[in-house]
Amino acid sequence: MNHDLVNLPYARSWRDIPQPVKPRALSREGQWRLFASGLRLGGFIAATLAVGWGVWEIARSLQENPKRMPAAAKAVPVKHLALKTDGHLDAAWLVRTLALPRNASLMELDLLRLRDLLLAHGQVRTATLTRNFPDTLEVRLAEREPVVRLRTDLGGGEVRTLLVAKDGVVFEGAGFASEKLEALPWLAPARLARVEGRIQPIAGLPLVADLLERAQRETARLFATWEIVSLAGLEADDEIEVRTRQGARIVFGTKGEFFPQLAKLDAVWDQLAKASVPPARIDLSLGREVPVSFAAQPLPAPAAADPVKSAFTFRFSPPN
Amino acid sequence: MSSQPTIIGAVEIGTSKITVLVGEYTGRELAIIGRGECASRGVIKGGVVDNKAASECTHAALEMAEREAGEAIDVVFLAQSGGHLEGFYNEGTVSVRAADNVIDAGDIQAVCDQAKAKQLPDGRMVVHHIRRPYRVDGRLVPSSPDGLVGQRLEVGYWTVHGQEERLADGINVIRGFNLKVRELVLASLAAGHMVTTPEERQHGVLVLDIGAGTTDYVLYRDGAPHTTGVLPLGGTHLTNDLSLGLRLTEVQAEKLKLRFGRANLVTKDKNQKVWLDGNFAIGDRQFPQQTIEQITSVRAWELLEVVKRKLGNAFAPEGCAAGVVLTGGTAKLAGIAETASKVFGVTAHLGEAPTWVRENLRDPGYHTALGLLYYGISAHAEKSAPARRGGGFVTGLRRLFASN
Repeated sequence: MNHDLVNLPYARSWRDIPQPVKPRALSREGQWRLFASGLRLGGFIAATLAVGWGVWEIARSLQENPKRMPAAAKAVPVKHLALKTDGHLDAAWLVRTLALPRNASLMELDLLRLRDLLLAHGQVRTATLTRNFPDTLEVRLAEREPVVRLRTDLGGGEVRTLLVAKDGVVFEGAGFASEKLEALPWLAPARLARVEGRIQPIAGLPLVADLLERAQRETARLFATWEIVSLAGLEADDEIEVRTRQGARIVFGTKGEFFPQLAKLDAVWDQLAKASVPPARIDLSLGREVPVSFAAQPLPAPAAADPVKSAFTFRFSPPN
Repeated sequence: MSSQPTIIGAVEIGTSKITVLVGEYTGRELAIIGRGECASRGVIKGGVVDNKAASECTHAALEMAEREAGEAIDVVFLAQSGGHLEGFYNEGTVSVRAADNVIDAGDIQAVCDQAKAKQLPDGRMVVHHIRRPYRVDGRLVPSSPDGLVGQRLEVGYWTVHGQEERLADGINVIRGFNLKVRELVLASLAAGHMVTTPEERQHGVLVLDIGAGTTDYVLYRDGAPHTTGVLPLGGTHLTNDLSLGLRLTEVQAEKLKLRFGRANLVTKDKNQKVWLDGNFAIGDRQFPQQTIEQITSVRAWELLEVVKRKLGNAFAPEGCAAGVVLTGGTAKLAGIAETASKVFGVTAHLGEAPTWVRENLRDPGYHTALGLLYYGISAHAEKSAPARRGGGFVTGLRRLFASN
């Protein structure tokens, strides 16, 4: 006469008899029913998947097509521009560049056009625009880094300083520190190709970028003296010429590796430091021989350089 | 409830025939929409002895019923009969826990669990736990005692159990048609529910479902089943006796039994004879009608006597005011009600389906299958009741049975 049920005996019920489906034990009618139920289940799953796919497609289409968005989604104007970049451009530049109309909602923005506006600035390598409902336009940028700078006439007598990226794209830099820009070598004046008013990328810049990057890394003290890089001999002679602040011209061959050429330059430069006359031309494009020409006397400026009066050739033995 | 109706198949695998009724249950109403029948094979005394043959017949009946209904059956309620079924009574008693002696659900659950807790021999499985009315301090409570005041709560369960393999045999026949058995219902309970009214059950009534191979019985008292049982005796024994006594084939004996068999003796003239076929063809012969009646009445009397002996003290004429109700195929034997009345000492009559049952389903052969549907749904609803307390399901069933 108590309520303790823990130790009460348990009697098995007929419900404990398993009722598994064993196709082998099914009669012909049973097998047909099993097949039909499998078919129904398959059909149901297929229908569910089809409906799910349809819903997903509709959702995607609504997301991409502003005309199909509900009115409520169109009503909120853009309040925030979220900029994420790996470079130097800032929010103010973004606002200026996009110049969004007042009270425009996210769905009214033509993202493709806005992206083209951003890409029109050479400094922007890639741009991704995303609507973050209800009121934020997110902009992700990847920027170009300058390798050299150049001065050019943009027309109407206006001469401006432009920057050139590793891929040869010429752009007006924005947001860069002036110390960084002043440390960049100049690109010797060259004629810039234009298509529909836009300056086309300069060929050969990847080679220049590679040379400058290696020089900066391997022989920083020499690189600090480099002032002008010329691509005049690139196409005809496969040469890149660098002019130092002292007026010396250093010729690099583009067919060989830059690293051994820089190593030879370093060695030659040390030897020439003992000479009383500064070098006028060092040619590193000839392989093991490095001809060096000297000016007759120290020159005040590169423009006044005189014909070479004497010359010397350094010979390097290949490493054992 | 879901608006999608459930298609329920009520299957009775009998010794002489297999009956399937298809019901469409909407949660509120049950409509019989299909029927299938097939002569039984592979079944002896209510038990499957040849799975292949029994499956073929059952599946044929299921197919026929589905075709008539125009719907596929979702679940099956299966009638269970056979000599392996036995029952016993067990009681539980608890002291009411609350200080104010108000009985709560915990007390009721505890007393029910205690009354049902009885270990069965190996290989036996419970088919039904049939609850008898509660008693609070000895006072009879026909419905739930929840909220009543008392110190001692008692309840008794009549537990019906059967041989695991025999139960699995019937289930496997249905599984072979790729259907699941949702409810296993004792054939006597199903038939008894159909041919008696709540008033009769309240006053006490004995229902005898006399089939071909078995006789299922259920004794109701105080509105609930009190005792159930199955005897491996039925109409085929009468046929066998005729076959042996008159030297006939079983088919001929069955024909004679159906046409001239009686459960009591009415023919006085020994010379009164009846023709076997009555078509005067070669092989047709005459038999004394009194002999036929003697053979069938003796066997019928014996069958009823065995039931009475099995009931023992559980049956008392004064506790069975509504008398005996006979159903099943053999209940169509002429004079059986009079014989039952003499054997049990109470009134007896043939069971009839409720008036709302369609004319083509009123034959005693359908009482069990009809009862299966209604009793099965009601049993299923009771099990689901805690999850849907006060829901439309139970209410719908109460309304359904209110007219019984």
